[in-house]
Amino acid sequence: MSAAPTDPLVRVDDVHLTLGSAAGPVNVLRGVSLTIEAGESVGLVGPSGSGKSTLMMVLGGLERPSAGRVVIAGADLGALGEDALARFRRDTIGIVFQSFHLLPTMTALENVAIPLELAGRGDAFAQARSVLDAIGLGARVLHYPSQLSGGEQQRVAIARAFVARPKLLLADEPTGNLDGATGRIVMDLLFRLRAERGTALLLITHDHELARRCGRIVGLADGRIAGDASVPAALAGAP
Amino acid sequence: MIFPLPLRLAMRELRGGIAGFRIFMLCLALGVAVIAGVGSLGAAIEAGLKADSRALMGGDVEFTLVLRTATTDELGYLEAAGQVSHVAQLRGMARTSDGQNRSLIEIKSVDEAYPLYGSVTLAPAAALADALAKRDGQWGVVVAPALMDRLRIKPGDAIRIGDATLAVRGGLVHEPDGISGLIEIGPRVMMASGALAATGLDQPGVLVNHSYRVKLAPGGDAAAMVAGARTRFPDAGWRIRQFNNAAPSLQTLLDQMTVFMALVGLAALVVGGVGVGNAISSYLAGKTETIATLKCLGASRREVFETYLAEILALAGCGIALGLVAGAAAPYVAVPLLPAALPVTARLALYPAPLFEAALFGLLTTLAFALWPLGAAAEVAPASLFRAKVEPLLGRPPKMTIAAVVAFCVLLAALAIVTAPDRATASWAVLGTVAAMLVFRLAAMALVWAARRGGRPRYPSLRLALANLYRPGAPTAAVVASLGLGLAVLVAIALVEGNVAEEIDMRLPERAPSFFFIDIQPDQVAAFDALLQGMPGVVEEGRVPSLRGRITRINGVPVDKARVAFDARWAIQGERGLTYAAAPPRGSRVVAGAWWPTDYHGEPLLSFDADLARGMGLALGDTLTVNVLGRELTARITNLREIDWTSLGINFAIVLSPGALDGAPQTNIATARTAPENEAALERAVIDRFPNVSAIAVKDALQALGDMVRAIGAAVTAVAAVALAAGALVLAGAIAAGHRRRVYDAIVLKVLGATRRDVTLSFLIEYGLMGLAAAGLAAAIGTLAAWLLMTRVMHAPWSFLPGVVAATVLAATLVTLVAGYAGTWRALGAKAGPYLRNE
Repeated sequence: MSAAPTDPLVRVDDVHLTLGSAAGPVNVLRGVSLTIEAGESVGLVGPSGSGKSTLMMVLGGLERPSAGRVVIAGADLGALGEDALARFRRDTIGIVFQSFHLLPTMTALENVAIPLELAGRGDAFAQARSVLDAIGLGARVLHYPSQLSGGEQQRVAIARAFVARPKLLLADEPTGNLDGATGRIVMDLLFRLRAERGTALLLITHDHELARRCGRIVGLADGRIAGDASVPAALAGAP
Repeated sequence: MIFPLPLRLAMRELRGGIAGFRIFMLCLALGVAVIAGVGSLGAAIEAGLKADSRALMGGDVEFTLVLRTATTDELGYLEAAGQVSHVAQLRGMARTSDGQNRSLIEIKSVDEAYPLYGSVTLAPAAALADALAKRDGQWGVVVAPALMDRLRIKPGDAIRIGDATLAVRGGLVHEPDGISGLIEIGPRVMMASGALAATGLDQPGVLVNHSYRVKLAPGGDAAAMVAGARTRFPDAGWRIRQFNNAAPSLQTLLDQMTVFMALVGLAALVVGGVGVGNAISSYLAGKTETIATLKCLGASRREVFETYLAEILALAGCGIALGLVAGAAAPYVAVPLLPAALPVTARLALYPAPLFEAALFGLLTTLAFALWPLGAAAEVAPASLFRAKVEPLLGRPPKMTIAAVVAFCVLLAALAIVTAPDRATASWAVLGTVAAMLVFRLAAMALVWAARRGGRPRYPSLRLALANLYRPGAPTAAVVASLGLGLAVLVAIALVEGNVAEEIDMRLPERAPSFFFIDIQPDQVAAFDALLQGMPGVVEEGRVPSLRGRITRINGVPVDKARVAFDARWAIQGERGLTYAAAPPRGSRVVAGAWWPTDYHGEPLLSFDADLARGMGLALGDTLTVNVLGRELTARITNLREIDWTSLGINFAIVLSPGALDGAPQTNIATARTAPENEAALERAVIDRFPNVSAIAVKDALQALGDMVRAIGAAVTAVAAVALAAGALVLAGAIAAGHRRRVYDAIVLKVLGATRRDVTLSFLIEYGLMGLAAAGLAAAIGTLAAWLLMTRVMHAPWSFLPGVVAATVLAATLVTLVAGYAGTWRALGAKAGPYLRNE
């Protein structure tokens, strides 16, 4: 089922997630409802343990909610099996991790090309090279992650997340392992690519200045939405 | 893109290096090398047997008669088919002219046509006919170099055999048909037919094998000739062989050794398979981040599975190739080491069939042990990237994968059974291996359970060691099982070897008589008995009539159509000793039925060896037909005996009732015992008085048997050591896999204030406990296996050899301690920074 033109890209309806533990069940998400429009950028903030990463995993189809519904681009994630979710992620979602998670035995070019290879695209490497050139890493295409700096690795990871032109980008503390200056360069790149491709963005961050670069900030506390407000255009910074 | 995506991804993953796979490839290579090597060597020897078969047998077809020569008609039939050579073989005694030295000898008299194939080599070089010709009234002989050493003679000297004095004209370096048996007690003496007549040894009842070898005329058909002979002379009683069955005894020995060594090789492969599984589990556990990332990027379970399967198969291919190269080279290394007495020239070449078989074993082992961790790895949740980093573990694979694992294990077992010459033994060996692995696995789990329940010992080193035994991902079960199985094989073989050596070197000589005297003519019996009775310190332990016959029908069914178990086939290959007796022979016990009355006269009755009866499916009341000198004699089985062959008394598998063999040419066999210092005098007295009688010194026979057993034992132990080496590789793999954790543990402990001694001690205790558990279990299981083999299969006495077991247990524990210490030493030397910063 595809989304109607007026439907939000992401609709999260009353999602609960309870995880088992040795000490008993833990209610990580307690009735989260949220929408994200196509092309919208949302900063997700909240204290440690509030459920931010878990919510991101639910949106990425990496965790199944205990209750509630998640619909992204017209697809009900609850109705998809594991392999269908993998294909869904391949075609619709991009993910940027705090720890980069580049594949260590693949070059920068191969890392960026892999989502397109998984989709069976014959132009995977051409596209990957194009993106790497566009972000200034054209000279590093054949380098392995161990030969790149932290900032370069994260830029490659961002290129990988965008190469398939996903509708939604999930970024989990993308500058958490980078110093201030490098982090700014990386986030400038991320927001630039987002704007160029019209990709919706959900950004988890502890950095409020970074959160204000998004169009909207959603606060999460104790597994519940604690606040949801748009950022005035004047304070939003780069589009 | 030329290659499919999983293959491309696999090739990229291989760029990470193969460091984690060295043990995996070595484990595979070792097992494959043993199977390929044993198979290639067997094929090389078999090729030699086939290539030289005509020369080894001495003709295209051989007709052998015992105790008689061919009739005119029989000879005419043979000569019509081609060229015929008559060879007679018997045992005798050779003495020096002064009577000081004597030796049992194997006499072969040949005619002018001999040899039909191949050639005889003499030293000094000479034509055989010239060397054997009668010159100046004296026949010539050529003798084996061993006889010249024993009698201290040289070419030109004279020796006495029977009634004749013969000139030694040269040393017999090589005879093409030199396979007389597996153990040669008497050195060879070759003479012309006329010389044999001169010795007077060929008397009625003396065991002489008359072989008529036929070299067929061009276009001759051996099978047709044999069929014609059986039709034309149904009661001839001859044993017929064609050239493709030139050496049945050697073939049987080769088959048995090949079976055993191949099974040990398979055990090594199974143990190695555990190493394969461990290495793959460890590698994939380290790849959970990559797998989760791939799944986040959209890779399906199947794509992940296929990627790593392709990688593992590529590396398995390298390991198998390495094993095949080593195995193919085995004949080139082993053949020069084969005893010179082996009368076959092995053919050095590449033999594809055993290599293909070994490769198949390697592939099945890889799949059987790799699919479980592969299947589990494909189930890695992509969400694990977001979770706190705990020790990466692989969970259970899906049911389909488990079913595939079971299927490949069954295929592996089936291949082992189907490719073995003795499928029954192979089946038991496979079952035994599986059972042993299960027992070891259960025992290892019990050790882990006990460690978990061990409470909190006071000493931190011990506490840490116990905790390491049961922590998630600990290799305890795998190390104990695989090292234990390798050790158990070695313990079992060492105990069997030790028992057999003790039997041959100590127990047998204690109860063995000093001599067997054979070919005592009926009219010499009284004088013989009187001679022995008159010699002080000599006891005649027994004397029985002796005849030769061949089993031709089993309960009315011809032997070539009867179903006979593998271990009973020896009884239907060739002539067997027969006797008749009024009372049960010493050294055997009636276990079924009843012995006939001492004054019995009636239809022929038969007492049979119980084991042979079982192997031939015979019971009381069934019949056995034997051919004695061309006459068929059918007797009803009235009792079965359990025979203690190790008593070395005079025993026969077939004993007939008195009167059944009246009138048949026969000789007598006697045994006598005396003190070692009197043996030479006893031998001299008998041979001087009865030149036709042969004296077999039992200690010489035991010596020859012991030498052969030790040679075989060395080969078997070498192969069994491979199984242990595979276990050691698994241990090394476990240590290597745990190295990073060990380093981390060591660094954190040092930061918290533990001394190097504390850390070293905890690791040593951990590995020491694993080694002790493996060794203790191996000692128990290996002892049980050896006991079963000795008592149930070989029917031999058994004694526990604590020294052997203790040595094995000690060695194993030491090896694990040393390995653990080596791993710890490396860990203690690592710098803290990289580990603490990354964590």
